[in-house]
Amino acid sequence: MKLLCVDSEPVYREIISLCAEKEGVTVKAVASYQEAIIAFESYAPDIVTLDVIMKGGSGYALVQKLKTLSGKRFVPMIFLASHTTDSVMDKCFKAGADDFIPKPFNEMLLNIRLKTHMRHVELMKEMYRKNKALTYYQAMIEREHEMAHHVLDHIQNRSDKNSEQVAITRLSAASFNGDLALIKTRLDGARLVFVGDFTGHGLPASIGALPVMQTFFDAVDEVVCVNELAVRINKILFSILPDYMFCAGYLLLMTQEGGITYWGGGMPNAYIRRANGGFDYLQSSHMPLGILSMNDFEADLQSNQLNSGDTLIIVSDGVLELKNCHNEMLGDDQVKALISCIYADASLIAAQQKIELKLAEYQGESEQLDDITLVALRSSYLQ
Amino acid sequence: MSISITVNETKDIATITIVGSFDFSLFNEFRAAYSDLERCYKTYVVDMSMVEYLDSAALGMLLSMRNGIEEESNIQLTGANAFIKNILMISRFDKRFDIQ
Repeated sequence: MKLLCVDSEPVYREIISLCAEKEGVTVKAVASYQEAIIAFESYAPDIVTLDVIMKGGSGYALVQKLKTLSGKRFVPMIFLASHTTDSVMDKCFKAGADDFIPKPFNEMLLNIRLKTHMRHVELMKEMYRKNKALTYYQAMIEREHEMAHHVLDHIQNRSDKNSEQVAITRLSAASFNGDLALIKTRLDGARLVFVGDFTGHGLPASIGALPVMQTFFDAVDEVVCVNELAVRINKILFSILPDYMFCAGYLLLMTQEGGITYWGGGMPNAYIRRANGGFDYLQSSHMPLGILSMNDFEADLQSNQLNSGDTLIIVSDGVLELKNCHNEMLGDDQVKALISCIYADASLIAAQQKIELKLAEYQGESEQLDDITLVALRSSYLQ
Repeated sequence: MSISITVNETKDIATITIVGSFDFSLFNEFRAAYSDLERCYKTYVVDMSMVEYLDSAALGMLLSMRNGIEEESNIQLTGANAFIKNILMISRFDKRFDIQ
């Protein structure tokens, strides 16, 4: 800790130096305004003591000048002055002083005040260090997220584009989406679909998407059957995810004729809106992916059929648990009512836009707490 | 405290009671609740009668607990409300836990 003492009287320069040195502070003592400015720049003190009257200028002007010179650095300036009227003190503080001790001063008092100011200087330095470190980490995280975004966005681009047979809506709660929706038409014309929901949301939840995507698109190329794909995805997630993470999901294959075979684990019921307005469901009968070992995993499939005019709608729990401004969840009944009405539309794209609008309306100003995925499918063969 | 733990030595039961929202914010506390016990118990009860909401992170925490304690020990999930029971059943937690 370094102290700059500005005082025109040699005796005070000596007393102040002695007092400060007793506290382990190094001192540079100068006598005039000009010397003080030069010393402040070359010596870079942590604390300054000064008098109101000095050679070559006033204490008020000096404080103002030194405060400007110190910029963002906090350097306490303590007046040690023989003039102790209220108006002098007032002018000192207005000029930027941090403390005022009248002369002649009690040595003990000066020591205590010095210690207090030294503690403040330490605190400020600590704060600057931490602030700098935080700014650094923030910049680093932003850069990393940008890179992760770049990679993860690529996944979604490989999926089939929205059409009158396929419509995907994904809305993330955080800057990363823990839900995954992959749809790809195989060479034989059948459509492979994966709608998944990883534990939690944000970056940790979306990382698991990478290996799943790879496995999924490999399966499209190799024309692997659905139960084999379920086994593969479960195996890869079981081996890479920590034990508190998993992925709920539907894996589904729809033939050109509308025949559906599917594997479901940990997902809410998916809806089939029949052409006549009635409902049928796909149900998850398994534990989510990434929990069970190879030996315990069950890959048995279920099946259903999409006929002309039917729509299959798969939603993640983020849709059912979407809250409005009264903190009420949307829930199964209201989702069904929306689907029943909206997917009567002959255009799937128009219906999808309508349901997105309805969900946004319901949510209003309230915060989205979980990722939302809503995938709608119609059979191409039947249109 | 939103997690408290009581043990019954004669019945060989450790009961973890959770109050409020069972979510990721309890991650460390929940893990400490069963792993800081001095010995392993035959039965663990996770009392959820005072849990209002449970998210997928909590399901993950329960699975992690299942992995973390002896395979012979039984874990009972008790007192879940209809909403929570539905979440547990959708994820087929009845395969690994005793849901009451």
